[in-house]
Amino acid sequence: MLRVESLSKSFEGFKAVNNANLHVEKGEIVAVIGPNGAGKTTLFNLITGVLKPDNGKVYFKGEDITGLPPHEIFKKRISRSFQVVNLFPRLSVFENVQIAILSREGKTWNLFSPSKKFAIEETEEILERVGLIDKRNRISALLSHGDQKVLEIAIALGGKPEFLIFDEPTAGMSPEETSRCIELIKHLSEKMGLTILFCEHDMEIVFGIANRIMVMVRGSTIIQGSCEEVRCNKAVQDAYLGGGDECSV
Amino acid sequence: MDIVYSVLPPQFLSQVLVGLSRTTILFIVASGLSLILGVLRIPNVAHGSLYMIGAFVSYSIAKLFGGGPSSYWWALLITPFVIALISFVVERGVFQFLYEREHLMLLLLTFAFSLVFGDLVKLIWGVEYKSVPVPGAFQGFVPLFGGIPFPLYNLFLLCVGPVVALILWFIVNKTKIGKISRAAAVDREMVGAVGINVSWVFATVFVIGCLLAGLGGVLVAPTVSVTLGMDHTLIIEAFLIVIIGGLGNIWGALLGALIFGLSQSLGILLWPKFGIVIPYLAVVVVLLIKPTGLLKSTW
Amino acid sequence: MKGNLLGRKGLLTGVIIILFLFILPFIFPRFYIYMTSIILLTGLLASSCNIALGFGGIYQFHHAVFYGAGAYAAALIITKSSLSPWIAFAAGPIVSAIIGLIMGIISIRLSKLYFGMLQVSLGSLVWVIVYRWYSFTGGDDGIHGIPLPEILSSANGAYYFTLFITGLSMFVLYRILKSPFGSVLQGIRDNPLRSGIIGVNVKRHQLMTLVIASFFAGVAGTLFVVVDNTVFPDMLFWTLSMEIVIMCLLGGWFTFFGPMLGAAALVALRTFVSSFTVYWALILGILFTLVIFFLPNGILGYIEQKFKKGTEVSVDRG
Repeated sequence: MLRVESLSKSFEGFKAVNNANLHVEKGEIVAVIGPNGAGKTTLFNLITGVLKPDNGKVYFKGEDITGLPPHEIFKKRISRSFQVVNLFPRLSVFENVQIAILSREGKTWNLFSPSKKFAIEETEEILERVGLIDKRNRISALLSHGDQKVLEIAIALGGKPEFLIFDEPTAGMSPEETSRCIELIKHLSEKMGLTILFCEHDMEIVFGIANRIMVMVRGSTIIQGSCEEVRCNKAVQDAYLGGGDECSV
Repeated sequence: MDIVYSVLPPQFLSQVLVGLSRTTILFIVASGLSLILGVLRIPNVAHGSLYMIGAFVSYSIAKLFGGGPSSYWWALLITPFVIALISFVVERGVFQFLYEREHLMLLLLTFAFSLVFGDLVKLIWGVEYKSVPVPGAFQGFVPLFGGIPFPLYNLFLLCVGPVVALILWFIVNKTKIGKISRAAAVDREMVGAVGINVSWVFATVFVIGCLLAGLGGVLVAPTVSVTLGMDHTLIIEAFLIVIIGGLGNIWGALLGALIFGLSQSLGILLWPKFGIVIPYLAVVVVLLIKPTGLLKSTW
Repeated sequence: MKGNLLGRKGLLTGVIIILFLFILPFIFPRFYIYMTSIILLTGLLASSCNIALGFGGIYQFHHAVFYGAGAYAAALIITKSSLSPWIAFAAGPIVSAIIGLIMGIISIRLSKLYFGMLQVSLGSLVWVIVYRWYSFTGGDDGIHGIPLPEILSSANGAYYFTLFITGLSMFVLYRILKSPFGSVLQGIRDNPLRSGIIGVNVKRHQLMTLVIASFFAGVAGTLFVVVDNTVFPDMLFWTLSMEIVIMCLLGGWFTFFGPMLGAAALVALRTFVSSFTVYWALILGILFTLVIFFLPNGILGYIEQKFKKGTEVSVDRG
């Protein structure tokens, strides 16, 4: 579904992403792991158009989407959440999600009908799904950090995505919030059939939900494969997992 | 010389000099504004008021010293320090508590101060025009460029401009406070982290900036009638100069002042009725080409 | 949602205010009718500015230009052409909107303070032209004694016309804010980056906002011609723009009726203070300073915070 071919990006000589390769099939959950500064967020920014790559190609469903601006990518049904909470702080939870739907449906130029009439059901459905329906009228800046991260995902869902990218979805969450978030991601994959790409530091989560894993070190792809393949790979163990022999195959 | 005049008429050259002496005033005021914008991030609307107060204070000091031709020198010497004192009180008393607020609030706060300053001037000096004596040595005119008389005092201004620019260059590049404030302009947390009292750095920069506004006021005083409202157009001009030069960049302020001053004086020569429009047009053209100013902004 | 009436109590207050405004000419002397007209149109001016400033997060620093342009356009058409004054009244806001569009196209590339400064420089250009073009605009004298249609030439006629147009305009502005466009606009204010990522064309929405804001500033300017029969270049001067921003701040710029309230407070205060001292600017300056320190969300913002604890939040828009 998504294919990234030898993608590169440097900032003033520093190669943040260097020849990264990745492919994700429909319905998969793929994790990107790697030490801090490995270029995971930069890779996501390159895919979603926030940054323009120096080299390489990104294909989505066979179509070249390299270097398209973020709103074009959004229209291709690729949505993302951010590592740092990136909401509309003065708006309510409901409005946060509603805006994404209004934008997707091209209703943002409607000047005279009340927004109250638009996208009510869909917004409520999304909020129900992510478990924020009780807090629909709260101002988003006043939510707990965990709820804000979930709202991030809800906004992403407002784009009716086929492909979701989560940048450290559970960062900063309490243990209960984390397990709720994992359930949510599984739900999105199993019940809604969405394809998910995410990065995460917590290896337990990664090995718990990912179908496949891509390992990035210093901007480059080291290996891509199933959890077992990655776990057993010598280079990964040396570079990242700390050398412990947990191979069970 | 006649060959030169056939290409560049004497009126033109004379008007260029007028423009350059205007540039001096604009540069001095705008560089202070730019300094404060660059380091403190305050769009200081009250800057124009301090310029006006500088002109009024110089009137009073000149009067105090007899109002004769030499009394101006006392005014030139003392006034900037009076303005520095006022700005010090304002900064420590009010502005320092608001540095973390957004620009809009700072802009409005300084506007509120400009209202207060305006009325205080009205209260102290009244609404009549005041005139400040031209210093003895620079009274009268000299024939320049084909005998067109040129005011001597404007020649004096032409010499002051480069001197102020040099002093500013020295302060910004060669002194400790200059280096610290340049660093603070880029990253104030870092400067705070290495144990420098950022608050006092800001106070110092603010006072220096305002002192320049006051200096501009003293220097302009003998050439104009000192009056209420002289701050209103000047502050807009100063802001435009800072914007086209690049926020916080003192050489940008110089470049902007040159563009503004010269286009103003030449505009009046070429198109007497609408000459005053020319500098504003020049600003718009510059900003269309380089929206963030000609030189590198410190922001 | 912000800018809401405070439930039933708010509705009651609103009805009382509207009734009061209707019967005002029967109770109060002429002077107060004039002052209330000025309050209404100044309130509309501030509200239109706040659409960009408070709800759009756009640093509209020179809103007075559109007010003055609308007033001058109407006044010039009435005095220099043989067209009906009613056409002039319609043309004023349209001229403002066109100037708003042109200035917007030029400055929208920049954001925040740079945008504001570019608005100021372009606006100053308009001001200088009006100020210097004696033969056409009357220069710093302005234009006086503009003839009006019979029905508007009495104080009461002008008052009711102003009341009606202001009410209508405020209703339209309210509808716009509550529309999908309005929601998206507030989203852009809160987070332009994320808005872009979810597919909103940020600049184009902001440009539309500027056109709307300048149109209604033009409506206010035209109303001034109706109420005062004069135009003068200070209507386009930057100090007025600053005062407009202060009205928004004073009333509360995340509320819909805040700017109207701020305008009422400012106009009333100026009228009364300047009746006993020439130093009203001094008093206003001190008042503004206090507001900035102690009421950063304005009067209505403060009230909302008090009454709706937990739903309102002071997020500093850095």
